[in-house]
Amino acid sequence: MNAVVETYDLEKTYFLESVVVRALRGVTFRVDEGDFVALMGPSGSGKSTLLNQLGCLDRPTRGDYFLAGRNVSQMDDDQLSDIRSKYLGFIFQSYNLLPQYTVVENIQVPLFYQNARLDDRTHRRCVRLAEMVGLGDRLDHRPMQLSGGQQQRVAIARALVNRPQVILADEPTGNLDSRTSDDIMQMLVKLNDAGKTIIMVTHENDIAAWAKRVVRMRDGHVETDVRNIERTQPSHEANEEFLQALSEILAEEEAEAAA
Amino acid sequence: MKDFWVWWDKTRGTLVLALRSLWVNKLRAFLSVLGIIIGVAAVISMTAFGEGSMQDALEDIKRQGATNVIVNSLKPPDDGSSQRRSFIANYGLTYRDYDQFLLIESVVRSVPMRIIAPQEIRRLDRMQQGRVIGTTQDYDKVNQIELAIGRFLIDSDNDQDEGDSRSMRNVCVLGSNVAEMLFPFEKPVGQTVVLNKHQFIVVGVLKDRMALTSSSGLQEDYNNDVYIPLRTCRARFGETVFIRQSGARGGEKVELHQVTLTVEDTDKVLDAGAAIEDMLSTSHLRKDWAVTVPLARLKEAERARDRYLQLLAFIAGISLFVGGIGIMNIMLATVTERTREIGIRRALGAKRKDITFQFLIEAITQTSLGGAIGVLVGFGGVYLIAWASQFFWGVHVPFLFSRRPVLISAGASIAVGIFFGLYPAMKASRLDPIEALRHE
Repeated sequence: MNAVVETYDLEKTYFLESVVVRALRGVTFRVDEGDFVALMGPSGSGKSTLLNQLGCLDRPTRGDYFLAGRNVSQMDDDQLSDIRSKYLGFIFQSYNLLPQYTVVENIQVPLFYQNARLDDRTHRRCVRLAEMVGLGDRLDHRPMQLSGGQQQRVAIARALVNRPQVILADEPTGNLDSRTSDDIMQMLVKLNDAGKTIIMVTHENDIAAWAKRVVRMRDGHVETDVRNIERTQPSHEANEEFLQALSEILAEEEAEAAA
Repeated sequence: MKDFWVWWDKTRGTLVLALRSLWVNKLRAFLSVLGIIIGVAAVISMTAFGEGSMQDALEDIKRQGATNVIVNSLKPPDDGSSQRRSFIANYGLTYRDYDQFLLIESVVRSVPMRIIAPQEIRRLDRMQQGRVIGTTQDYDKVNQIELAIGRFLIDSDNDQDEGDSRSMRNVCVLGSNVAEMLFPFEKPVGQTVVLNKHQFIVVGVLKDRMALTSSSGLQEDYNNDVYIPLRTCRARFGETVFIRQSGARGGEKVELHQVTLTVEDTDKVLDAGAAIEDMLSTSHLRKDWAVTVPLARLKEAERARDRYLQLLAFIAGISLFVGGIGIMNIMLATVTERTREIGIRRALGAKRKDITFQFLIEAITQTSLGGAIGVLVGFGGVYLIAWASQFFWGVHVPFLFSRRPVLISAGASIAVGIFFGLYPAMKASRLDPIEALRHE
């Protein structure tokens, strides 16, 4: 298996006015391609700090981080921005859609910063993704007009638009009720089944139960790192269309990459 | 080429975003650019009115002729020597002066004038007060006057052939108003009028001629003038003009009231004027003459306009500066308000310069829209004021739109957007993505 994410002795120290906070104290951690990892831990355990590091939103104080074989720990701000726009997809707890944009435009935002042309083909792709997450009839709606679950589905589509190496999800179901949470988790599992690597921060055990692997953190260390044996299985009847559309899109992508 | 299209997509997207963000906060955006709107509108309208009135003045001066030098006789102030109690004031330009002017090389044409005013102009039982002007044929060329009918004076009217009874002919050309008053029902040409008990044959009538403001500020009304040959004037009216005013008797002995000289080129006008001044100040003991160079007045008027525009630019600068501070204030508030959005964009791959660009474009869009509105308001205001003063007070307010203030306003609006938008945009771009994402 190829490692998509590898960290070696990653440390992050915050120097606040009067205190020094050692948020990460040497995390060595590896995620293989196609894995689905749940990062867990009490607040202050460093799981969010680790996710920010993995998301290239911040640089480590010490240690190395290889993302898809690239050492990103020494990159400057512009290079990190490039990495984020090309290799990473983000799903946030509070959806974080841009209020001025419609559904399709929100999905397109990562491409906007890729120095690529925004032509009809990109537009069609965004529409396909919106249809895939079941919002084909709401393409021109603004986030304000959507429910939480719908917003999170837009965010999932947005996280896929740049064909990322890793999808990072920060409490993706934190603001959702349990039924909608199930919907979202089913989608993530299907994405993972289709080969996408997912790293998800959560503090709920039944959400973590969807993942293939559970990493627990405490005081800036990885405490336990186990395979999830009793994994929650997605119901087969649900999201049939989603899976269908997803496999089509992925097939197209592969064909494009080959060409 | 591809780079251009990528850039174009990005700029277009950013522009659309900027317009949408402004549209969301229409009122706030409008209020924050109000300073710029007012500043630009004021500049546009003030320059339009300024240029308009200046244009009138310049036209006036140009009508006097940019290549002309005008020399006038001037009644000198009473001094000790005039206490001889003579009734007759003897002053002014002489025929000798006139001959001397012709010696200046650059002078191509010169027109002497005697003005006898006021003078009664009679036709049967009709009478009109006017001025009688004795002059030569070049008068019409120098003053760019147009004939309605007939001809102007020609040099042979002035000829003085020995033994020829037809020399010093009693012919005259009437100003439009005189012709209208004396000949309401007939064609004037070929008819006679009486000037100072002498019969004069009318040979031509002038078109209406616009009055112009002379250097002394007096309005000269040309439409009551009657033009006769200079020699005829000397013979029939003599050198002394008697003025009777409410019992007091006085007389003036003036050989020539005015000489208009045309110089071959505008470059040489000022020199010619100076040469004439030199000439006159040596030959005349008193300052009984005045030299007017319309071109010099033109230059002065242009300098005055430039000063006016400079002052305006200064005021405009201040108002744009104040407007710019308003923009900066609102942009800083916007950046704080949209910290979350900045965090999201950074997380999704926006570089610092993308964020700077976005907010800078937004500021520039705002100020240039403000500038555009200001230009329109300025235009509208000018028309409104001109119409209102015509309608309510019957005052004609001249105005003139030119391209320059519009271009300058546009440039200044964009510059204000860049200058005052840059700091908030930089501030936005320096936000830490993680902090920004956490922002509520």
